[in-house]
Amino acid sequence: MAKPVDLLPGTLDMLILKAVSLRPLHGYAVLQRIRQISGEVFDIPQGSLYPALYRLEHQALIAAEWGQSENNRRAKYYTLTTAGRRRLREETAGWNRLASGIASALNTRPEEV
Amino acid sequence: MFKRIRSLFRAFTHRRDFEDGMTEELSFHIEQYTEELIQSGLSPSEAARRARIEFGGLNSIEGDCREARGLHLFDELGRQFRYAWRMLRKTPGFTITALLTLAVCLGANLTIFAVINSVLLRPLPFPESDRLVTIFNTYPKAGVDRDGASITNYYERRGQIPAFASTSIYRYSTAIIGESGSTEREQAMEVSPDFFSTLGLGPVVGRTFKEEETSFGTNHVVVMTDAFWRHSSNADPHIIGKKIRVDGNPTIVIGVLPPDFRFLSSEARLYFPLASSLEDRTPQQRHSGGNSIQMIARLRSGIPLAQAQEQIDAQNARLEVDDPQGKMIADAGFRSLVVQLHGDHVASIRPTLLLLQAGALALLLIGTVNLGNLFLVRAGSRAKEHAVRQALGASRKHITSEVLVETTLLTLGGGLLGLAIAAGGIRLLSALGAESLPLGSQIVFDGRLAMVALAAAISLGVVLAVPIAWLNLRRPLGDALQSEGRSGTSVRATQSLRQSFVVSQVALAFMLLAGAGLLGISLQHSMDVSPGFRPDHILTGKIAFPLKGYADDTAKVAFTEKLLNEIGQLPDVLSAGVVTNVPLSGKSGKSAATIQGRSPRAGESPRGHYSYGVGGDYFKAMGFSLLEGRFLTAADSRSNRRFCVVDQDFAHYYWPNGSALGHRLFEGSEQGKDADAFTIIGIVGSVKQAGLTEEAAQGAVYYPYAFHSGDIFVVVRTSMPPESLGLTLQAAVRQVDPDLPVNDVRTMEARVTDSLAARRTPALLAALFSAIALLLVAIGSYGVLSYAVEQRRREIGVRMALGALPGQIRNQFLLLALRLLAYGVMLGGVGACLTGRAMQTLLFHVPAFNLAILIGVTGVMGLVSIVACLLPSYRAARTSIVEVIRAA
Repeated sequence: MAKPVDLLPGTLDMLILKAVSLRPLHGYAVLQRIRQISGEVFDIPQGSLYPALYRLEHQALIAAEWGQSENNRRAKYYTLTTAGRRRLREETAGWNRLASGIASALNTRPEEV
Repeated sequence: MFKRIRSLFRAFTHRRDFEDGMTEELSFHIEQYTEELIQSGLSPSEAARRARIEFGGLNSIEGDCREARGLHLFDELGRQFRYAWRMLRKTPGFTITALLTLAVCLGANLTIFAVINSVLLRPLPFPESDRLVTIFNTYPKAGVDRDGASITNYYERRGQIPAFASTSIYRYSTAIIGESGSTEREQAMEVSPDFFSTLGLGPVVGRTFKEEETSFGTNHVVVMTDAFWRHSSNADPHIIGKKIRVDGNPTIVIGVLPPDFRFLSSEARLYFPLASSLEDRTPQQRHSGGNSIQMIARLRSGIPLAQAQEQIDAQNARLEVDDPQGKMIADAGFRSLVVQLHGDHVASIRPTLLLLQAGALALLLIGTVNLGNLFLVRAGSRAKEHAVRQALGASRKHITSEVLVETTLLTLGGGLLGLAIAAGGIRLLSALGAESLPLGSQIVFDGRLAMVALAAAISLGVVLAVPIAWLNLRRPLGDALQSEGRSGTSVRATQSLRQSFVVSQVALAFMLLAGAGLLGISLQHSMDVSPGFRPDHILTGKIAFPLKGYADDTAKVAFTEKLLNEIGQLPDVLSAGVVTNVPLSGKSGKSAATIQGRSPRAGESPRGHYSYGVGGDYFKAMGFSLLEGRFLTAADSRSNRRFCVVDQDFAHYYWPNGSALGHRLFEGSEQGKDADAFTIIGIVGSVKQAGLTEEAAQGAVYYPYAFHSGDIFVVVRTSMPPESLGLTLQAAVRQVDPDLPVNDVRTMEARVTDSLAARRTPALLAALFSAIALLLVAIGSYGVLSYAVEQRRREIGVRMALGALPGQIRNQFLLLALRLLAYGVMLGGVGACLTGRAMQTLLFHVPAFNLAILIGVTGVMGLVSIVACLLPSYRAARTSIVEVIRAA
């Protein structure tokens, strides 16, 4: 397994939105899901997740509701709002453009210039 | 944006839920992770430890979460408020002084502002009230500035002036309501049918007047106010169509006005049609307004006032062409002026109110300077604390916001107290007679006042914070930290800032005091004016005759004869008379008189004179001075000889070099038949009809009541205190006519006193403001000098140890105080002259530059500040060398 890399600034929000878009999750599960869907590439400091969640909720991109966890504990579940879905779409498109741009730049060979 | 505010608001209002939820959520995470670690084989305690470490600092994460919600700002603010609160409580002396200063200064300002707001700023309670105007006739060259409008004017202008959407006239009157024997007099208004539509507000129930209800006999209909409806019929829902007895006539109720209906300052509770005969509407009556009828109009939307004025001028010019009186009217400088209704109504008190507000603002400025001083002293004593905290990493922003929170907390408290004082002040003003001012009874404490108080408090907080924050941030930390060791040089900058505060305080207080002095002397001078008669021991009361039973003059004459006879038989009555208009009654209509055989001098315009009908022993009862000839007496009332009496001004105007006695004159503006002429049989002292400070020598003519009848004032001179005669007078009137009430029963002295209310109240308020200002200056000077002494104790001690005498030390500080005083007085003297010039129109027989006042004020200011400075100076001189040196 490769060494985990630090997140680019601003990408945590995007990952949280993606994780929550699949199904409602509580905070701990968001962390696990990001790890899982990213192929365990990122090292996310656990504590930094919550301020991000609160910020996204404050921006009404995700909504929170108290529910039951798998082991019957009270837990706060986050779901994606309509605004959040739109934001996720925009961010995904933006990221793809950025990534492909950087990829094509980095893959440029001398003879192509 | 809105969602975020709501999210913040929810987090803020459900703070406990937010905190609990956050704790639960975070601990849930840690427990989940702990369990996962246990499952991967760690011991429970090790797992718990690892989970916590990897999660990170719980406190800082919680802080980040709060910040994500925008809550940290409130937390910070709350903390600073609590800190400021603790600091203020720790220094109760400072806090109470500051709060009181703020409360008094803001209270004074808010009280005056409440008046300005209610009288000058708040629009009249009608839709689009800025389109309402009043139109009045003026004949400046005849000495008649304001003559209202005539009925003819109304019928000629109605519908003929395109700039007006609607035109209307009204007249204040009274009505006698109720059954015989239990009648009451009510304030009323007679209005033309379009009065309510001009105002844009009319009856909520029923209808307004119709055109056919404007002639005598068809006018027995009434629109009542909500208050009268509730009071007289217990809010009878079926009142429309019922009858009430008005002036003895059954009168049909046709409408009830909304509860908040209020026309200018009128106390009227009943509205009747303004009835007139066809004769009243002819061109001959065009200039017979006599200021009793007023005209209002509503401008068409978007039409400027100037356009209406042009159209009125044009119409007047057209009408004058074939007016036989046209030349004379033009000579009198006739014009009809169109002015804003609201502005016109309050024009008389506008300068006074603005002056008082300026005075109150000066007071606030003095108070603020004082507070600035106090805060600087405080900041000085906390310089070290601030320096230490800054050295330990407190940010500039933090220190500044802390100062701001502290000053604002204090000013908000002061503002709240100031509002309480304003509430009391409004009541005090109404006790001082503010209700007699235009719109004066509508002075209220409203939302705008509260908003102004809040805004004032917050901006004061900011203003006070600026110098302190500046000082705190500018001071080199090292100096502040060491300033306990030796006297810091930065202290000098503060000291000179504070000394300039004292100078400006003295200057402002000087201006206030000088202004108050000018108003006081004006009041004194106007009280010294002789009203032309002896006002002591006189009781007066007004009787307005209803049309029914008093349609012709003989009935009125017969009534006054009987009444005077009745009154004459009362014990303690020395003499009694009647007059159509008592001096200082508030009414001062003028009319023309023509000297027999005299043609006007070239360029001379006809003059308006006060004209009275007098019966009984009016002159004797009033105590008029007789200059030549004799008074009209009760005997003249009974004979039908055409005699008259004129006053000194009248006699002097027409016969500057000879006697007026024996000359003859006609009532009105034209020469008449010889038989209609009145022979002048006496000349009496001039009377001040409009007010004691009236300057124009208008001239007056007194005709026998039989020839000049109308509503009357009864005037009774008694050997008793006149107030005690009130009920007897009412009874005497009832004896003659049980339906006639007497109203406006007041002693003549009360009339004189009340007529000066418009001068007395401002003078009293200005005196009050000045007293507070003096107190503030005393506190300010004392504070600054004490602090200067305190700061230089070590220096003083050393100098005394080296042989300086206590007297030298004391004089040094007294000299400092005198220097500050001198600068302040010089600045204030210049300011006082400017203020005096600005208030020239409010003064009576006082020059704006009054040396006596300036010297007096200098004396008072000097006394106050020297007394305030003596204590600290003597304290300086008593400095104990041993103590100082030991303290070092």
